[in-house]
Amino acid sequence: MKTNSLFNVPLLSPAWKKVAIGFFPLPVLLVIGISFSNPQFNPDEVAQIIYGFWAIGFGMLILTREKVEDEMIKSFRLQAFQTGFYWLIWGIGAIMLISYVRYGRFTSEFFSAYLILFLLNLYIYAAFQLQLYQSKKEK
Amino acid sequence: MKNFIKIERARHNLTQQDLADKVSVSRQTINSIEAGKYVPSTVLALKIARVFELPLEEIFELEEGD
Repeated sequence: MKTNSLFNVPLLSPAWKKVAIGFFPLPVLLVIGISFSNPQFNPDEVAQIIYGFWAIGFGMLILTREKVEDEMIKSFRLQAFQTGFYWLIWGIGAIMLISYVRYGRFTSEFFSAYLILFLLNLYIYAAFQLQLYQSKKEK
Repeated sequence: MKNFIKIERARHNLTQQDLADKVSVSRQTINSIEAGKYVPSTVLALKIARVFELPLEEIFELEEGD
């Protein structure tokens, strides 16, 4: 059965996993380098740089093909995107609640597009890996 | 959903990998189906039935609560 090409998501080859893993230590090294070269560097931006790079890293990991991309893996991937989004909504809700309790307002400087993307991709990746682990675990 | 893949595999002297190769999925997928952790699509279920040359309902069976 063919899927409408409009809904087809092309996946990266498995070799991209190595590139994705490189995105995890990279921002740490970058921040150390920047802080040496520019002592006036705003430390608030450190977290955003790290979130941005890690969001890309996890984004690549969730869009990389498995060795055998069969229907079970595809179903795990679909479920992971749905579950990841669901966890993100609850996570944001929790952050908003904590912010309200501590500072009396729902909004926080803590929120950024980088953080949300990082959390979303992390949750999707976690949900996918958890399903893979459960499928491999003996009964 | 209950299935009798393991029994049919033994009857046809097939390993999980053999069956996986015949229906173009991973061995892990066959293992998950046998363990009842994953319910295959209609297409995959029909492919498995074809390997064993049996009607679908002789390999897969609905359980209470399905």
